[in-house]
Amino acid sequence: MPTSIQFQRSSTAAEAANATVRNYPHHHQKQVQKVSLTRGMADVPEHVELSHTHVVGPSQCFSVVVQDVEAPVSTVWSILSRFEHPQAYKHFVKSCHVVIGDGREVGSVREVRVVSGLPAAFSLERLEIMDDDRHVISFSVVGGDHRLMNYKSVTTVHESEEDSDGKKRTRVVESYVVDVPAGNDKEETCSFADTIVRCNLQSLAKLAENTSKFS
Amino acid sequence: MADICYEDETSACESRPLWSSRKWRIGVQRFRMSPSEMNPTASTTEEEDKSEGIYNKRNKQEEYDFMNCASSSPSQSSPEEESVSLEDSDVSISDGNSSVNDVAVIPSKKTVKETDLRPRYGVASVCGRRRDMEDAVALHPSFVRKQTEFSRTRWHYFGVYDGHGCSHVAARCKERLHELVQEEALSDKKEEWKKMMERSFTRMDKEVVRWGETVMSANCRCELQTPDCDAVGSTAVVSVITPEKIIVANCGDSRAVLCRNGKAVPLSTDHKPDRPDELDRIQEAGGRVIYWDGARVLGVLAMSRAIGDNYLKPYVTSEPEVTVTDRTEEDEFLILATDGLWDVVTNEAACTMVRMCLNRKSGRGRRRGETQTPGRRSEEEGKEEEEKVVGSRKNGKRGEITDKACTEASVLLTKLALAKHSSDNVSVVVIDLRRRRKRHVA
Repeated sequence: MPTSIQFQRSSTAAEAANATVRNYPHHHQKQVQKVSLTRGMADVPEHVELSHTHVVGPSQCFSVVVQDVEAPVSTVWSILSRFEHPQAYKHFVKSCHVVIGDGREVGSVREVRVVSGLPAAFSLERLEIMDDDRHVISFSVVGGDHRLMNYKSVTTVHESEEDSDGKKRTRVVESYVVDVPAGNDKEETCSFADTIVRCNLQSLAKLAENTSKFS
Repeated sequence: MADICYEDETSACESRPLWSSRKWRIGVQRFRMSPSEMNPTASTTEEEDKSEGIYNKRNKQEEYDFMNCASSSPSQSSPEEESVSLEDSDVSISDGNSSVNDVAVIPSKKTVKETDLRPRYGVASVCGRRRDMEDAVALHPSFVRKQTEFSRTRWHYFGVYDGHGCSHVAARCKERLHELVQEEALSDKKEEWKKMMERSFTRMDKEVVRWGETVMSANCRCELQTPDCDAVGSTAVVSVITPEKIIVANCGDSRAVLCRNGKAVPLSTDHKPDRPDELDRIQEAGGRVIYWDGARVLGVLAMSRAIGDNYLKPYVTSEPEVTVTDRTEEDEFLILATDGLWDVVTNEAACTMVRMCLNRKSGRGRRRGETQTPGRRSEEEGKEEEEKVVGSRKNGKRGEITDKACTEASVLLTKLALAKHSSDNVSVVVIDLRRRRKRHVA
């Protein structure tokens, strides 16, 4: 069920995003665009919508993944905000070392080693946003051995209210922009990146739910 | 956990009498060994005393039965041992009759049995250029003993597992998959190999998904993480060798190659995502194959079948492809290896190299009395392998465990792979399939 909900949300967001893109005149497609990736989602706070508004270049693609979690916002954020320890929930990360800064301040850079079997070896990632009050974290990829050039992601955690049962739950939204590498198209690139992000957020949900059970 | 342990114990208890019964007959044959051949056996017994685990306990029990049958006098200090002794006594009489019949009526069959009692094999594993060793190898000669009123046969198990994401799925396959195959084999009357292997692999896949219920090795970094680690998996290429057949079950991109009359005969086909039938299957399941540093399922995984990798199901399935090949006099050897070898060495080149090794060795005419390899030593080898540094390899000095020529052939193949700049772990098993005539000692 969570997967189904998530999938529906993603589709809605993707459709909304496409609609946004199509609103531009044809001759503007070669220019930079501003895309709101949470437009069309229900019950999104303004700061979340602003966080997931990206500037997209002509040879880039973008996407958004949504994951509902049955755990408090504070629990989810305590895991998500550890920029220096992503392997807690990102299971494609073998190890991580902060090479610039302390891992908490904007501008910190971490070197992430990737597990075997994946088409990547390591990634250098810079912390762009760390907002503990609004639960917003963002990083951009500034180097490494992989094909996701100029990847920039934003992840937010907020409380949302489901229409069906009126119960409040925690919603994690991760959106990203990335270059489309030579030899692939936009759909392929998003399909690959979505798989990674979706796996990460599902692991985050499981970990947060397990943690909140035992606390 | 408690239930699982109980079931294991029950299974062990149930199988013990059968093992004891068969062991007695084997003991009779071994009794004809020369005194010099007895020493390695004694050495084996000593080392086995240190072993742990249900499977190894069975080995120890076997060894105890053998010593008892050979008229050594271990003291019987427990009711269970007395019970075993009684069973031995009962079997002894009928076995005498059976032995006479075998010698008088089916001498050639006896020769075949003697030959297959001791498969010759060698193994080599190297970490290579990758920083972590995630391969595992399982060697279990005589892991199944089939007995009817007309014949006694032994089946031998060899498995190679290439892990990705981490090492624990491959390590788990090494520990368990042969036990699952054994259970399926002992409970199956019709020897439907395809179904037996498919059930074994499915059960193995489910076990690794529920890894939180078992104890993982300290080497596995996943201990530090949430138990629900979906993004880890392993290939599995498994061969069961019986007196009449070679069965291969494959899941992933490791490979089994038979050398028959000097020619390379693949007994498995690699599960690459862009293999036409695999591509169709993935797309029909709603997945897609993206070329991202090669063909990958969803751009992520470079193989279309694996044990584990729960996050990619149903696109990445654990269903094995099974081949059953009749053995012939022209069969020379079988190679099981990971893609660290096959990505850089052709089937033909591998066969040519191994052939030179085995022929050179047999040409020297050196024959060493060999003892049966206990399962525990295979595990010991595995442990040693995992401790190797980059580029190191298992040496061929332990001739009493594996045939030296087969081991040297395995080592040479790993060296060849490294020389051709393989960027992966490399694990190789070479199994000598040539039938050797033994003189009757009776």
